Amino acid sequence: MRIPPKYTQALAVTILGAATAFTVVVLVFIIVFVLSKGLPGINFEFLFTAPKDMGRAGGIFPTLVGTVLLPLLAIAIALPLGVGTAVYLTEYTRENRLTRVLRFGTDCLAGIPSIIFGLFGFIFFVVMLKMGWCLLSGGLTLAIMVLPTIIRTSEEAIRAVPNSYREVSFSLGATRWETVLKVVLPNALPGIVTGVMLGIGRSIGETAAVIFTAGSALRMPVSAFDSVRTMSVHFYILAREGISNEKAYATAAVLIISVLLVNLAAYGMMHRFMAKRAR
Amino acid sequence: MTKKPPAKMSIRDFKVFHGQEESLRGVTIEIPAHRILGIIGPSGSGKTTFLRALNRLNDLAPDTHIEGQVLLDEQDIYHPAFDVVSLRKRVGMLFALPVALPMNVFENVVYGPRLSGVRNRKRLDEIVERSLKAAFLWDEVKDRLSMSGLRLSGGQQQRLCLARVLAMEELEVILLDEPCSGLDPISTAKIEEALTILKSKYTIILVTNNTKQAARVADDTAFFLMGEMVEHGHTDKIFTTPDDKRTNDYVTGRFG
Repeated sequence: MRIPPKYTQALAVTILGAATAFTVVVLVFIIVFVLSKGLPGINFEFLFTAPKDMGRAGGIFPTLVGTVLLPLLAIAIALPLGVGTAVYLTEYTRENRLTRVLRFGTDCLAGIPSIIFGLFGFIFFVVMLKMGWCLLSGGLTLAIMVLPTIIRTSEEAIRAVPNSYREVSFSLGATRWETVLKVVLPNALPGIVTGVMLGIGRSIGETAAVIFTAGSALRMPVSAFDSVRTMSVHFYILAREGISNEKAYATAAVLIISVLLVNLAAYGMMHRFMAKRAR
Repeated sequence: MTKKPPAKMSIRDFKVFHGQEESLRGVTIEIPAHRILGIIGPSGSGKTTFLRALNRLNDLAPDTHIEGQVLLDEQDIYHPAFDVVSLRKRVGMLFALPVALPMNVFENVVYGPRLSGVRNRKRLDEIVERSLKAAFLWDEVKDRLSMSGLRLSGGQQQRLCLARVLAMEELEVILLDEPCSGLDPISTAKIEEALTILKSKYTIILVTNNTKQAARVADDTAFFLMGEMVEHGHTDKIFTTPDDKRTNDYVTGRFG
């Protein structure tokens, strides 16, 4: 016997609605939980002074700086490399065995646990190249880690640009490079930004790879060859060593808020860019 | 017989292959300057393939190769030394579907000139006004040049595309690939009117699915069928006393 469509419809709405509700509730719970425990500990002094006594007292300013610098450095390295690779794979080569192998490779790379990248960064940058635990080692390692994500999202975004735009551009006497620059990349930008956001998110939240390569010094970094501690690492150490739960939650709250702000800023920028083009 | 004007483009035993398939089977035709050549034929007859060969847009398709020659002012455009970029600036193309680039009207029109290195704002302004006037679009958009080209209607977008082609200062030949297939009769009339004026300056090749359009605007007409050019001559002759029975059948609407 067939179930009447009215009931299957109701069933589908119930199941899908429940799945959505569950997801949202869990997410909101985590955020509310962390914020409620952490927000009371956040004040001007916490944000802008150095930690004292291993983080038991004082603020988190050096780790805030580290959290800004490290992902920034990683993206600055990964963005040109990633977008360049994506452009090469989509615009400059025909689909063949090599591009398929490269794509498979990047997909595999994207799924590798970050601690493996950390280990690689430690052996290669820190030990072999004698760079030590520093901002640069960490930035390079994180760049390698987020590269696959940026390549794949950029590639999808570039592929989604209608072919007719390219044809028009070529028919007006543009070279391939001019077409990439004037038509393909501007139209792929929202997708590329999404990839970058994912990359920034991953770098900000990363601990394993960072401890291995950038170290965990609590000093204020003054050069690219200084060890830094990011908020994620700071949070991890505070919680794991049982130094201060209160400070750990406050750090976590700052972390969540900064990721939120970065996302808002990126979407705001993108909207302004799109609005300018669509006017 | 009147003396024939010199050929702007000569196509000699020209073939196009897509993979193993021969999409165009040895077309030979002389295209004189300052005339409109209409190309008619059912879909799949190789009209578009032929047209896209004339500014080497076929190069972009994978697995395509050609035989024979296409001469532009006596020079072989498929010769390795021939610069494709400069070719496409001299031989412009209007596509079947209007494709306004996602930028404003002004930037759409000056896309070609900017690529050629025109930077002077006054000169760009002049180019925009001249091109939009020639495409019969100026009066409708002159106050909205900073509006996105995507917000124009289909008919306006197609005229914007025409203006964009006309903006190229090196332009000599205009290729049109069923430019009115998606347009209303009034927009179609505007494009056709523009073409009859433009032929004094350019050489025009118009692929059309609409035989009546060829009869209205083309000076010469070529009939394509299954990758072959069946017949080519003055439009009047093709439509009244064609030599080939298949041409007659097509123009009288018996098939296709």
